[in-house]
Amino acid sequence: MNGQVSYFVMLFKTMSHALKAEKILRHEQLPHKLIPIPKQISSDCGICLRFAPQHREPIEACLNNKVEIEYIHLIVG
Amino acid sequence: MGEVKIVIATGLACPQPVVLAKQAIELHDQIKVIVDNDTALENIKRLGTKMGCEVKTEKKNDGTFEIDLTRKAGVVPAKEEVILSTSVLSCPFVIVLSENKMGRGNDELGYVVVRAFLHTIAEQSQKPDVMIFYNTGVKLVVQGSEVLDDLKALEMAGVEILVCGTCLNYFEVKDKLGVGVVSNMYDIAATMSRAGRLIYP
Repeated sequence: MNGQVSYFVMLFKTMSHALKAEKILRHEQLPHKLIPIPKQISSDCGICLRFAPQHREPIEACLNNKVEIEYIHLIVG
Repeated sequence: MGEVKIVIATGLACPQPVVLAKQAIELHDQIKVIVDNDTALENIKRLGTKMGCEVKTEKKNDGTFEIDLTRKAGVVPAKEEVILSTSVLSCPFVIVLSENKMGRGNDELGYVVVRAFLHTIAEQSQKPDVMIFYNTGVKLVVQGSEVLDDLKALEMAGVEILVCGTCLNYFEVKDKLGVGVVSNMYDIAATMSRAGRLIYP
């Protein structure tokens, strides 16, 4: 998933939220990847979850009411 | 033939001496390079040979070396090979993963950070020449590793990935190698010894 394709990044208020979300997605076997927050979004040294556009819906549904999501951002490749 | 171009490369770290020598021999038929260490001496001798030069070296009493490179008439230097000799052969950029985490103190955090690090290395243009994995670092290169895609992309881009065979055996995962080649301490120690830059994240 390192090519020039569009993808979403999901940001969280704290790292523990991000790790909790990752644990849930791993358990549900929903394809995602933990990456540093892209520089064009924030210069903070944070992490976020990246996923392909087709996985946005199931991922959001899966995390709903379990993890607080800050926002989801589309990165155009 | 013009006069001899003198290149003083003492006190400079690898790869500066060989880079300066290369720039000088591209513009002059005859150069004299002064260096103060064996690595620079060997690198510049190798550069001279690759560039089709006559190479003469002299050890001075003050511990420095003078290397005379004289272009042989009619020899066209092989540019591609010279670029290879200055970066990959002489002073490779090496990253060592001695653990499956980055930094000490909190393992969960260390595992997050090492994944972020490898992802970034895989995406940036300045890639290492070699990556070495040993001890729990080998857990990053076996099947099921969450950084396997990044490491495969690095290998596809020409990064040499050396994995400690002893360590794979210890964790009983030798049959699960997902990227790189099983290596040994001779190659690992030799690569680390000739590194121009060595990063331990």
